[in-house]
Amino acid sequence: MKTTLKLFGLLFMLMAFVACSDDDEEPQFIAVQSNTASNIPAPQVGGFGQGEISGPFTKFSFATGAVTDSDTEWDIAFRGLSIAVNGGTETGTNDEPVRNGNAGAAIVDGTFASVTSAEGLTFEQDATGAFAIPGGSDNGWYNYNQPLNIVSPLPGKILVFRTHDGKFAKVEILSYYRDAPSEITPDIAGNDFRFYTFNYVYNPNEGETDLTSQ
Amino acid sequence: MSLNKNNYLIIFFFMCSLGLWAQVESKNDSILTENLDEVVVTATRTVRQLSSLPLPVTLIPKKQIARSGVTRLDEILEEQTGIVLTPDATIGGGEGVQIQGIASDYILVLIDGVPVVGRSSGNLDLSRFAIGNIKQIEVVKGPSSALFGSEALGGVINIITEKPNTSKMSGQVTHRAATFNNQNTTVSINQRNKELGYSIFVDRLSTDGFDLVNGDEGQTINPFFNYTFNGRLFYDFSDNLRVFASGRYFLQDFEVPSGTSEERDGNVQLRLDHKLSKKSQFEYELYYTNYVTNEQTVDPIENEILLDNDFDQKLFRPEVRFNNSFDVDNTLTLGGGYNFETLDRSLFGEQVSFDSQYVFAQYDFKPFEKLNVIVGARFDNHSEYNSQLSPKISARYAIAPNFAIKGSVGSGFKAPDFRQLYLDFTNAQGGNYSVFGKEVELQGLERLIANNEIITDTNGNLILPVPLEDLGEPLNAESSIGYNLGFGYNKGKFKGDVNFYRNDFTDLIDTRILATKRNGANVFGYINRESVYTQGLEVDLKYEVLENLSFSAGYQLLYAFDKNVEDELEENGGFVRDPETLQTVEISRDEYFGLENRSRHTLNFKTFLEIPEWNANANLRVVYRSKFGLADRNGNGYLDDFDDSFVDGFALVNLSFGKTFFKHYQVQLGANNILDFRGENPFSTALNQIQVNPGIQFFGRLNIQF
Repeated sequence: MKTTLKLFGLLFMLMAFVACSDDDEEPQFIAVQSNTASNIPAPQVGGFGQGEISGPFTKFSFATGAVTDSDTEWDIAFRGLSIAVNGGTETGTNDEPVRNGNAGAAIVDGTFASVTSAEGLTFEQDATGAFAIPGGSDNGWYNYNQPLNIVSPLPGKILVFRTHDGKFAKVEILSYYRDAPSEITPDIAGNDFRFYTFNYVYNPNEGETDLTSQ
Repeated sequence: MSLNKNNYLIIFFFMCSLGLWAQVESKNDSILTENLDEVVVTATRTVRQLSSLPLPVTLIPKKQIARSGVTRLDEILEEQTGIVLTPDATIGGGEGVQIQGIASDYILVLIDGVPVVGRSSGNLDLSRFAIGNIKQIEVVKGPSSALFGSEALGGVINIITEKPNTSKMSGQVTHRAATFNNQNTTVSINQRNKELGYSIFVDRLSTDGFDLVNGDEGQTINPFFNYTFNGRLFYDFSDNLRVFASGRYFLQDFEVPSGTSEERDGNVQLRLDHKLSKKSQFEYELYYTNYVTNEQTVDPIENEILLDNDFDQKLFRPEVRFNNSFDVDNTLTLGGGYNFETLDRSLFGEQVSFDSQYVFAQYDFKPFEKLNVIVGARFDNHSEYNSQLSPKISARYAIAPNFAIKGSVGSGFKAPDFRQLYLDFTNAQGGNYSVFGKEVELQGLERLIANNEIITDTNGNLILPVPLEDLGEPLNAESSIGYNLGFGYNKGKFKGDVNFYRNDFTDLIDTRILATKRNGANVFGYINRESVYTQGLEVDLKYEVLENLSFSAGYQLLYAFDKNVEDELEENGGFVRDPETLQTVEISRDEYFGLENRSRHTLNFKTFLEIPEWNANANLRVVYRSKFGLADRNGNGYLDDFDDSFVDGFALVNLSFGKTFFKHYQVQLGANNILDFRGENPFSTALNQIQVNPGIQFFGRLNIQF
């Protein structure tokens, strides 16, 4: 009987301790949330036989979850089918933003939910002649169906980013067309393109590689 | 027209001039008279009774074609077991024939034993071939390269033209009018004297075409007209020396909104049959064919030429064959030939040519009474790719007088085509991507590199997924091995055949990315990569209830898959995009639907009725194919259950009635697709509703014989 009591006492204390420590530490972490960014415009001048590609990239920050004009506080940027990261050097095309952060990208095979951590991944950075996320159909994030003139994000390609300030995020691009329609008519394919919609999970905690949302 | 036994023999000789003189003569006459309609030449290149063959062959007699009231090759093939006419995935494209699940690219089409050329992206348009003057159509299923060489992987379709057989000039005039202002006129004249025979055939077809897409400009099939001219000459110098000459010319012109689209196809065939003795014969054959298309798209406002696509293919082929029958059941066939082939095409740098030489041998024998074995092989030597040896063995064992088991194993191959070797194409209008054929890929890519069009890394080094030194390695021929095992039962009014088949394809030619351009577009080349298989079961039943009433039914079960995709899915699983949420979901092997355009089940049912008292006949034909997919639409490169590109199963019901007046006038009325099936194409959109079929088509046909 005595031992049982002792054991209960111990258990109680242990539980209190554990509960206490939970209470104490939780506020230090910011909750990891799943978000959707819709209709991020990615205009481009030229390309597709219309002369050299140019025009400013649309910059995006995971911390604010929005498009930004900042020259430094951005993580990834879009122009047409190209995705730039704020890390490495300019690839050499016209009107690219200056890379001044330490962002990088990795492409992981899986469903969005199955990618749970950025641990152990190799992050590529933009470099002369090549974006970290390779261009071209079936090379990087998209497939281009020539006869139908449709760009579709490759299934099972999850983009994991290191942000300009060393945090981690994962992205699944859902659509390249305005309002992410489930059916892309020739009309949409010809007029409402260069609008990115993607799901993302951003872990705002310094040094944390966990990418599961609450 | 009364037929006595002598006439039978005469007809027989002329229609089987490809065949074996000695063997024919030594066979007993009862077989000839009983099975006159049931003799084929394509399976062995000798005259063989259909029911005794060890390999699967479909025979479509003239009578069936006439009764059905159809005028083009594709229309009659569609109603046969295991043969499917598939629509092109892109709207407005032609139809392709499919045998045992094998696509049109791998099926050889012959007219009187010589091959036709002129394929668009591998597909041969079978509606080009008028069937108003033919004796029968023979379809050999399974690889037949052991006799016919390249392209005969899936099978061979041989159109056998009718030979003249009356000493008085005879002929017929036919006109058929159908829905969509489809007007088809045919005139044919035949005569055969003792030494000299001739046959003239003219066919004209015109139509307003039709539209499958509601709410867009233009039509799916533009209005067109075409002419077929065919003249043939038969002359016997003596009983031992006979000559046959044939010329065919086809001209087709599409009325396109702006520009022109023209197609011409001509062939000349000259054959000399020299009988050495009762048992052996030489056949010398010269064949020339030329296929030309001119396509021009003109800007209607500026009157500028936007696209000028010309295609000019020529084939010249001398061939010698020798047959020797040691006795009734032992026949040796030997042959050899030379192919000279050239192609001049706008998208090629220069005119290109192929040379190939071949020899083949076949021995058809009976080791003992109940067993028939045919062994054969062909060797093809080619100027541009590896030589090919194609063996085949088939055997039939008669377990009982009415019941036989038959099996065959054979190989087939398809030479890389001109496009896969010589294409040099950059799409300036859409996306600026480039495609290079194998022979020009190295020069092509080096040209792009020199122009500084290819992406480089930080240090200025080229990024090339395929090292330059690996480019230009010769392509292998695509090849297959086909297995068939079947049972045949034949008793009185009932005939039944069951056949299990499997076709394994390797080295199928696919495209791969050679480099990426600075503008993001890719540079493509060709490579041997894919391996696929088709397997299943065919059942054919025929029952002659009464002398004038017959039923037939056919069924094909088909599994067709890409082995690489299967393996990948089994090992690692795969991913697709959910069409609603657009998110990636994981899929397994079970959700892989298989190759495009393949239906798991196809069925046909035909019944023919004759009422001699009324000089009338009627028939009903039904063709059904189950659900099939058109294309991958969710970006993973294969058809799966999530792809929104399936056409639901459907049946086409065709009906026709015929009556003969005053002996020489035949009137026929009927309707194809009498249930008015239209279907819905999965590529339909809210704005553009796309149908699968244009709907019911009525026709009337008048035939006058003289």
